[in-house]
Formats: sequence, C-alpha cells, structure tokens
Amino acid sequence: MELQQKFYGIFKGTVEKITSPRTVSAFKEKGVLSVSEFILAGDNLVSKCPTWSWESGEPSKRKSYLPADKQFLITRNVPCLRRAASVEEEYEGAGGEVLVDNEDNDGWLATHGKPKDKSDEDENLPSMEALEISQKNNVQSISTYFGGEEEEEEDIPDMAEYEEPDSVIDPATLQSTYLVAHEPDDDNILRTRTYDVSITYDKYYQTPRVWLTGYDESRMLLQPELVLEDVSQDHARKTVTIEDHPHLPGKHASIHPCRHGAVMKKIIDVLVSRGVEPEVDKYLFLFLKFVASVIPTIEYDYTMDFDLGGSSN
Amino acid sequence: MAKQGSGSILQFAPFQSAVDEGFWHRLSSLKLNKLGIDDSPISVTGFYAPCSHSQVSNHLTLLSESIPSESDEQLSTTNLGNRNRCSIPGTLYNTNTLESFHAIDRQSLLKQEAKKIWEDIHSGKAVEDSAVLSRFLLISFADLKKWSFHYWFAFPALVLDPPATLVDLRPASQWFSSQEAESVSAACNEWRNSSTTADVPYFLVSVASNSHATIRHLKDWEACQGDGRKLLFGFYDPCHLQNNPGWPLRNFLVLIFARWNLKSICFLCYRENRGFADLGLSLVGEASITVPQGWRDSQCVPNAVGWELNKGRKAPRCIGLAKSMDPTRLAVSAA
Repeated sequence: MELQQKFYGIFKGTVEKITSPRTVSAFKEKGVLSVSEFILAGDNLVSKCPTWSWESGEPSKRKSYLPADKQFLITRNVPCLRRAASVEEEYEGAGGEVLVDNEDNDGWLATHGKPKDKSDEDENLPSMEALEISQKNNVQSISTYFGGEEEEEEDIPDMAEYEEPDSVIDPATLQSTYLVAHEPDDDNILRTRTYDVSITYDKYYQTPRVWLTGYDESRMLLQPELVLEDVSQDHARKTVTIEDHPHLPGKHASIHPCRHGAVMKKIIDVLVSRGVEPEVDKYLFLFLKFVASVIPTIEYDYTMDFDLGGSSN
Repeated sequence: MAKQGSGSILQFAPFQSAVDEGFWHRLSSLKLNKLGIDDSPISVTGFYAPCSHSQVSNHLTLLSESIPSESDEQLSTTNLGNRNRCSIPGTLYNTNTLESFHAIDRQSLLKQEAKKIWEDIHSGKAVEDSAVLSRFLLISFADLKKWSFHYWFAFPALVLDPPATLVDLRPASQWFSSQEAESVSAACNEWRNSSTTADVPYFLVSVASNSHATIRHLKDWEACQGDGRKLLFGFYDPCHLQNNPGWPLRNFLVLIFARWNLKSICFLCYRENRGFADLGLSLVGEASITVPQGWRDSQCVPNAVGWELNKGRKAPRCIGLAKSMDPTRLAVSAA
C-alpha cells in the first residue's frame, strides 16, 4: 500500500508540474477553486475568523502560483479536549448516531453523509486504502515523541540528576504541577491536546486541503499516527493520510482531498436548490463546516454570522 | 465568578513553551551548514498571541522562522502586523555536547537576561518596544547523530520583594460598566485589527468619564493623565485561567512601578474568544506594590525566576525527531 501511495505521489507531482493552475472558475459546476478564488476565500476567512492567518512557510517549498505571503492558512493552538474515537464510542454505547449530527448542521450537511459508500464513483480516483492503521485503537495512549516507545531514546538522562536545588522559592509563581486546560471531567487530564490546523491549496484536485499537527497536554509534538485518534473513525483509516506537508517540514496528518470537490459540489447544489446563491468567498466556511464532521473534537473556528450567500425568504 | 479576596499575593501563571518541528529542522541545518562548533549565542524570535479560547492557554511558540536563515530576508516584513504572532526577542545557547548542556550555569544566564530587561526598563527602551519585557532564553543541545534535541526555556521575571498583593481581580465585564465594556471591546478590536498595532503586546486603556475608551501606546502615559479618566495597563494575556494573570504581567508591573512610581496598579489581562475581544474572559485587577529594598539603585538587579518546569519538575525537555529527520530512516520508509 505504501508503494502504491508513493507511485501515486510521484504521478500527482508530475501532473502538478506540467499543468498550469486553474484560472477559470468552476466553483459552482465542480465544487473546485481556482488559485485566485482560494486567495479570495482565504482572505475572507482571515478577516471573519482572525485566529486564522496566512503564512509563507518554508522558503524552499514556496509555490510560485501563490503569493509569497499567502502560501497557506493556519490556526494554531486549537483545543481538542476529547478523542473523537472515545466520543464515538460513547455515542455508540448510548445507541446514538455515530457521526456528529448536532443541531447546527441544520440538515443540509447530511446530504453527503456517506460518500464512502458510493464505491462506483471511486473508480477513476486514487485508492484511499493507502493508510492501514492497525486495530490497536488505544484511545488512552499518550505517548509522544518524548519518551515514547522509540527504542533509541534509552539515553534520555534521568532528569532528577539534573534537578536544580531550589535556590529561590518564589511566592508569586503560580504553583501547579503543570498547567492543563479546564477539562469537562476530572479524570481525563491527559486527553487535552492542541492542534495546529492548516489549509493548503491542492493544485491537482483544485481544492483546499486540511493538515493537522497535534501536540499533547505539555505541548510536545504528537506522532502523526496518534492524531488519528482525533479523526472520526469513519475516516481515520480511509481519508486521512500521513504525508509531507507542502509548506512545512515533517510528516503531518492530512484529510485527503480526492472527494472534496464532489462533496463541495453537493453542498453547493443543496444551497442552490434552496434558492441560495452560493458565493465563492464563503467557500472555506462551507468547507470547514464539512471538515468538522471528519475532526469533530478539534475546535477550530469557522463560524460567522453570515447568510450562506443571500436568503431565499 | 472569580473574585479573589484582597490582600493575597498576586500569583502569575507561568508562560509555556511550544516548539514547532520546523524550528529544529532549521536549527539542524544552521548547525550543519554554518555554525559548525561555534556555540556563540543566537538571536531568535518567539511568537505569542492573547489567549483565544476559554479552555487553553496560548504559548510562546518557536517556528522555523524563529531562526533567521540566510535566504529568508523577508522575515521582518512577513511577520509584521500578524495578530497571531507577536514577536518576542530571545537568545538561544546551543551547546556542542550533552555534558556542556547540563553544565550550563543556568542561574547566571537567567540573571544575565534579567539584567537586560532591567536595563531596558531603566533606559526607557521597554516603553518604546514593550516586547523586550517578555524576552526569553533557550538552551539546547542538538544531537544530530540521533536527531534528538534537549532543550530548556526560561521566561525571566524580575522578582518583586515583597511580592505584589492583589486588591481585586474579576472578569473585565464585571469591572467595567456595560457602556464602558462595549467601548473597550471595540477599541481593543480596532487595536488588534490594525497592522501597525496588532503585534504590540502592552498598551494603555484610557476610559473617559463619558465611558468612551481608547487604547494608547505606553509612551503616551503622561498624555493620558487627568480628566477623571480611568487608566488601565493592558497586556496580551496568554493565560486562560480565571483567577490568575499570565506571566507577561510580571515584568510589566516592574516597569510600571519603576518608571511611573505607581504603588497601586490597575491592569487588564486582555484575552480573546475566536479572535475577538472577550471581556468575560479578560480580567481586570488591582495590584498593590510596596517599595522593594534597594529598588532605586539601577545597578542592583532584582532576583529573577523563570526556568520552565517539565511536568512539574525542574528538568529539561527532549524531543526525538529521527522519524522525520534521519536520512537513513527516511530512505527506508521511502523504499
């Protein structure tokens, strides 16, 4: 499977090199974005939800078809208080629905509820089986790069040896073992994670693409595999892959964009059928709302008091 | 809601560090391609922003851009005015061996950085460029054979002795009248939205008797006096706790006391929700300071604290990045 993913990566890279980026709008017809529409929608996201900002990323990875200072969007330090996997278990245990379907979704999101079932549509799309996550679904696991299971970490020194004697006891320092977020429960302190969520432009699929970088409760980097605990389990083994980030160093978990255009097209169709004229600068709000069904417990901001492009009534 | 009893010692929630993987990649290539065994201190830039969620604090974050690279001249321009990235100056001491990392005299390094802050307070530089109040320190050892990085942050804080006491602390929405709160919110949002002020982490909040609020630069302190105005010292607070201000207030209080000789200080811990001013989350407090001994002598640098704890212990941190950095491992996983 890894080989398949590799070949596909090379293929995609080659196609991206020889094709020019989309310049003609096909937002309503195909649910995709041109480069300038991506910038437009990104500017709107940054202005309405200021926790997002544009960044330029690694200079060596810069894409020439995007402005140097608007290579991708990122929001950092987004709280994730519970594991998506455990939330689903609880829902299932209570006999409820598996996927997030809260009141906010006011129905229209459900239209694309199970894109994965339509296997016939997948024939000309790259295989999504690339990611095989073994069934060790250890939700409570908190191992990170620090002192994780990595065998070569044996030489991490015994820190006690280097502990400083308390030269100054400072009464003005808030004493706490270490600061953790306020938790819904008392016993799951270790569940608090934070995420850096970034959105890049995928030239091949002509859609935005979401990347996740996770940190544990003491802000140590999470292995990308552990990030999958925060992905809806319907997607964790299928649509979320671990790949090189196009603008940042290292491997990061990413929601694979091969279905994004089709899903966005369906959302747009629903809006149109309700007499709402979709506007391309709102694309990322719709997109992030749909992404929330994949990463339901990562509380990034995509809300705004807006009409989804004019009202029908 | 959170209203603390008066007279208690004002306690600050320590700053927390967060290091992006890209920082270690950049440090490694700098070490390999340029520095060699040169272990002189490196100027780095950390970034932080006000708390933006009621349930988690923000951090002092290091990114790959924290280390200036030869090819990346635009650093200053790309970051300018980014509201999610207030730049804070820092100093990195990267040692060549693990032994020398552990042998670093951390107490004297901390003193050295605290002295810089103290001098900036007395020279007036801290009023012009307030980010220097949050100056930080990082020691590290980059093990490029194992691709592991040992490191330890310090956020030097000058110690008031005796410590400041708390007269009052409550959500800003309760301290201001509703008219004032509305005006303060609007003024703060304007400050945060302007590219010239968005990354200025310390400021003055001036509320006129007609409830109209304006945000001013620290250097305008003299101009803000009089007229029965309320004057608060505001700062971007990375902390989310309801009963404690965050670390950046510590050196700010020292500045306010040393420069303007105020013994009773009203401060605003500015916090946001989803990128907008949230006065329910923000705090207003009143601190009382008694004259510390020997304070007037600028040669006499106060004690400093601030080495970051690692899970409650005085110990360094270590991160292993062999999976994403080791060329042989990358080759194997690519095969």
